[in-house]
Amino acid sequence: MSQYVCVRIPRLDDIDIGLFDYDRNNTLYFFILNADDQIYMRYGGRDASTDTYLNLSSLELALEQGLELHRRYQRGDLPRQERPQPLFPRQIPLLVERTIARNQCVECHLIGDYQNIHRERDGTLDKLTHLYRSPDLQTLGIFLDVPKGLVVKEARGAVQEAGMKPGDRITGWNGTPVWTFGDVQYYYDKVNRRADRVRIAVARGGEPLELAVKLPPRWWWTDLGFRQSSVDPRVYFESRPLTDPEKRELGLQAGGFAGRVTSIDSVAAMLNSHELRVGDIVCAVDGVERDEVAHTPELFIKLRKTAGQTVTLDLIRDGKRIQMPLKTLSMSFRK
Amino acid sequence: MQPRNFILPALLACLPALAQDSPEDRIYWLKSYSEAIREAQQTQKPIFLEFRCEA
Repeated sequence: MSQYVCVRIPRLDDIDIGLFDYDRNNTLYFFILNADDQIYMRYGGRDASTDTYLNLSSLELALEQGLELHRRYQRGDLPRQERPQPLFPRQIPLLVERTIARNQCVECHLIGDYQNIHRERDGTLDKLTHLYRSPDLQTLGIFLDVPKGLVVKEARGAVQEAGMKPGDRITGWNGTPVWTFGDVQYYYDKVNRRADRVRIAVARGGEPLELAVKLPPRWWWTDLGFRQSSVDPRVYFESRPLTDPEKRELGLQAGGFAGRVTSIDSVAAMLNSHELRVGDIVCAVDGVERDEVAHTPELFIKLRKTAGQTVTLDLIRDGKRIQMPLKTLSMSFRK
Repeated sequence: MQPRNFILPALLACLPALAQDSPEDRIYWLKSYSEAIREAQQTQKPIFLEFRCEA
């Protein structure tokens, strides 16, 4: 660490968040850069399981790689990156009104939350991009050997079909060099949500290879449970998509998003959100039964409705068709 | 605190292990980005920057 100038930023008020761009809901985030504002790499993330993407060995590796990149930069062997458009927290009106003007801390997640509210207000919110941040690598079938950085421990599904193998080291994502899980997470998040492929460069036995990976359906989906975002309509139930034979038996559309309710959040009753029961089959929302993206009713509501809206569910309970209101709710920003 | 958030304190607690025990190797954290830029220009070192909420 003595080979680095270490800086810890506890407040983002005067920070160029255009330069230091990242998913603000990450729990931990470091940048390795130089005095010319050239970012060499990112280290950070947020993981839901014990099979974490972050540990001390991978951080040590990143620090070593950072020093090597710095030496290359000083020798002139590293191309200069174009500096992103500057953006400061004071340029986000709601952040100023509700946080800075009240002399409250500009918490990282608030930046993303208020940006999304502005996007929702001006009609530029794209929920696939702005709400479903940081897609999970495991959805592509990538399982990393975490202490070794970007070395692949196991390749399944989409990446296996594209030719990725255990032992490969990921070196690039859609043409951008990557060094850490934080880099991959960041550039994976930048992939157009309508794209059907992503290019992943790997090193195999010292040889470079580029793999064209076919993106699986809903590759962008991530758990929104921990995000405080108010633009996410909370529905407080989960369902399992019906199979085609199940839909046929019930006389439902083959391509519809009908789902059998598998769990109800206990707060649904407290908040008077809905009266669904486990086992109910939700077959339509506001009369709509199918969607080009959503495969479950709750995903349809999250993508197509605004937080706070009340919708009408068509459902089958004990063999009978009934209708029921569901009031979506928005999360408060403050914990 | 959600269980997944234990990753943060655990990793941060490990950071000092990356430094040696001698006082000159102890991590000295600056608190201002502009100060870090100045020091990096003077020392020709790269910058290790952490965003850390102290709220």
